[in-house]
Amino acid sequence: MEVTLKIHRYNPETEQGGLETYTVQAEETATLLDVLDVVKDEVDGSLSYRKSCRMAVCGSCGMRMNGAAVLACKTPMKPLVDRGEVPVISPMGNLPVIKDLVVDMGPFWEKFRAIKPYLDEGSGDAPVKEWRIQQEQLDQIMKEALCIQCGCCVSECNSMEADPDFLGPAALAKAARFVYDVRDRGGKGRLERYNGYHGVWDCTRCYFCNERCPKGVDPRDAIAKVGARIYQEGMRSDKGARHAKVFVDSSHKTGYLLETNLVPETVGALAAIKEIPFAMKMVRAGKVPNPLKPHKAGKLDEVRRLNTLIGDQEKQALEAVHRGPAWPAEDAPRPAEDDE
Amino acid sequence: MVRHDVVVVGAGMAGMRAAIEAARYGADVGVVSKLHPTRSHSGAAEGGINAALGNAGEDSPDKHAFFTVKGSDYLGDQDAIQVMCEEGPGDIYELEHMGAVFSRTEDGRIAQRPFGAGGAPRTCYAADITGHVLLHVLYEQLVKSGVTVYEEWFALDLVVDGERCVGLTAWDLVRGGVQGVEARAVILATGGLGRIYRGTTNAYACTGDGMSMAWRAGVPLKDMEFMQFHPTTLKANGVLITEGCRGEGGYLRNGQGERFMFTYAPNAGELASRDVVSRAEQTEIDEGRGVDGCVLLDLTHLGAKRINERLHGSRELSLDYAGVDPIDEPIPVRPGAHYHMGGVDTDMWCRTAMPGLYAAGEAACVSVHGANRLGGNSLLETVVFGRRSGAAAAQEVRENGLGGVFPPAAVRVTERRIKSMLDLERGERPAALRQELADTMYDNVGIFRSAEKLELAKQRVGEMRERYARGLTIQDKGRTFNSDLIQAIELGSMLEMADCLVTGAIARTESRGAHSRLDFPERDDENWLRHTLTYYDNGDVGLDYKPVTITEHEPAVRSY
Repeated sequence: MEVTLKIHRYNPETEQGGLETYTVQAEETATLLDVLDVVKDEVDGSLSYRKSCRMAVCGSCGMRMNGAAVLACKTPMKPLVDRGEVPVISPMGNLPVIKDLVVDMGPFWEKFRAIKPYLDEGSGDAPVKEWRIQQEQLDQIMKEALCIQCGCCVSECNSMEADPDFLGPAALAKAARFVYDVRDRGGKGRLERYNGYHGVWDCTRCYFCNERCPKGVDPRDAIAKVGARIYQEGMRSDKGARHAKVFVDSSHKTGYLLETNLVPETVGALAAIKEIPFAMKMVRAGKVPNPLKPHKAGKLDEVRRLNTLIGDQEKQALEAVHRGPAWPAEDAPRPAEDDE
Repeated sequence: MVRHDVVVVGAGMAGMRAAIEAARYGADVGVVSKLHPTRSHSGAAEGGINAALGNAGEDSPDKHAFFTVKGSDYLGDQDAIQVMCEEGPGDIYELEHMGAVFSRTEDGRIAQRPFGAGGAPRTCYAADITGHVLLHVLYEQLVKSGVTVYEEWFALDLVVDGERCVGLTAWDLVRGGVQGVEARAVILATGGLGRIYRGTTNAYACTGDGMSMAWRAGVPLKDMEFMQFHPTTLKANGVLITEGCRGEGGYLRNGQGERFMFTYAPNAGELASRDVVSRAEQTEIDEGRGVDGCVLLDLTHLGAKRINERLHGSRELSLDYAGVDPIDEPIPVRPGAHYHMGGVDTDMWCRTAMPGLYAAGEAACVSVHGANRLGGNSLLETVVFGRRSGAAAAQEVRENGLGGVFPPAAVRVTERRIKSMLDLERGERPAALRQELADTMYDNVGIFRSAEKLELAKQRVGEMRERYARGLTIQDKGRTFNSDLIQAIELGSMLEMADCLVTGAIARTESRGAHSRLDFPERDDENWLRHTLTYYDNGDVGLDYKPVTITEHEPAVRSY
């Protein structure tokens, strides 16, 4: 089949670059990576991108197609060709570009190292043989264990765009993998690393990481798991934790978010005084509800039922059997019949 | 110029395990790798890692050793095999203590399943992403150890002072430029060479660089003619579908729906050794009982639950690269070049013929796989001999002190070689030559071999080496991330290693393990129960031989 791509080129030595269009012949089964190979082999050998396994396990070939992060080797081209699309291929976001589609993964691995990315074996009380662990206990970290560190989630992370120091979805998913490993002795010390500035509470919950992860790791869910453990351990003084609690309490009590309580309850009453000029501006802009008016949602019961439902779902998610990636939607509703 | 006591080249499982061990011994360790460590091809291993833990039935290291010897068609060195099988369980427990998420039995121990020709359920696994899980666990430990990693540095040439290896030169892929890497001991852990074959399961990175570096420096390679073809790979791009599928009870069927394996291996059926199963499949296909160049791997009777729990990775690969959901229909599969039993000749402590140079993993040949490797033994080899190489290198450094002197001219010599490659304006493009090599090897040095085809391959590889020597056109003239240059250098290694493989295969006039000669269909212990050594002979491939170590198991008829 004939495939046309537009590729973002950039040569750091000449500082030249821009969109180039390439049309090549490829097999019907070709992935984006196969097509890039044809471009490199037959049209322009100076095109640079990373690749190795071509089977979605090494994590080398993360890049963007039409603005969304993909693994090139896991992206079949035929559907696009059939639709007559000419996709734009560009390097991943949130990471500095080295050349063409190659980004500097340095900042990515710096975050990885920052979360203490290895099992804390404690004082060395390991048994002679293996630890006795139930499969169900391991299942809690099997989704995170699928992560191939390709960087697709980091590429799409909204929070990182605003705060490049945010630990980010990949590193925090790795963190969850240790927090929920029954063998880990890291305890609160480990959790401290993920609490506070640039930690779990800085996630904006946009869910782009879940959306774009090519392996079904669901990094946002992992971040929620780490947050839950931090909360369970009583580490609730962090502004992020308090902020989250205001949302939950307020919606439970009133069915609404009480913006007037949000700031004082998050940062404390004294610190909130500093925010009065900002609050006045909000009042003038009509952004603050009348604090004297009764402030409750009409169907509070329904809101509370929703709250309970979400709470239960999250508990289930924590205990759930995570054995594999989520399948594409059209493939999903498959009864898990036990026909052995 | 950088300096370390021990420099490990390659950061897959063998390389990282070596680095971690050498650091434990107090050595200052550096790792040079053309890929970031977690991009290494060990991560693509799926099915598992063998060790006689006895968690799923009675087992022992001796039993493991016997079936490995038999699987090797008696070409494996029995002392080395014994060491691997005895030390294996300890290495598995260590990986588990590091955090590896091995799948579990009901009572919480490491689960084990049967693999081909193993004789017992001995393969420990983490669902069917075992290599991925272990590669990442070792990377975690590498980060913990504080070892310096030179990521995306492409190793070019070994540097030798007198007879001693004193380091290497490497191309810094991101910044461009040749770097000198001085070392008191060098460990090659650069993996295999599957990319010399069309339709291989191997990653693009598996181009035999380390073996080629050693060979060019005069270090003999061993048993290069033995290339394993994996029975279950996807038609379109050779992606591996794990032997674990058969270990979990999957069937192989031909186009008529028959489970044909019992014709070839009456007892073991689908779980015969890989050489036997691949030959059977190829025979079915050649005799017209295939389906579009494939046979069928049938998992449908296992049920959705079991497939999703234990083989979800295979299901994902099958959906992505064959458009087939194994829950509903069989996967079309064919044999594909998968694992190279040969490599740099080493002893049980991974020492090569060159002082100061070690090798481990697929780049090495100890030999524990002989003429045919058992599934699940390669990951085991990486951790057992990775560890041993790290320990041996660190101890040698401690005892021997300085070793030799890194000649300053070495970097300039390599620089000139690279510059002359970049400067050339006229010549072939590497891609066409690479494809021609892969086709030549697949068509003529495949599962079934003969003098006629092997001679043809030798002649063609020779011609291709000449064309390569005349020079290729590298279109990328820049220094920053010049993958065009790297691919051209890799092609040089591939051509040299293909020549070694073909030369060894022509000489070996018998059939043993994965080396199956139509013109010499029998195993010939009288003349060929010996290792092939291929060495650099003024650019050509020289041949020599050395005896196989036999301790307990006298060669016997091998049937499954």
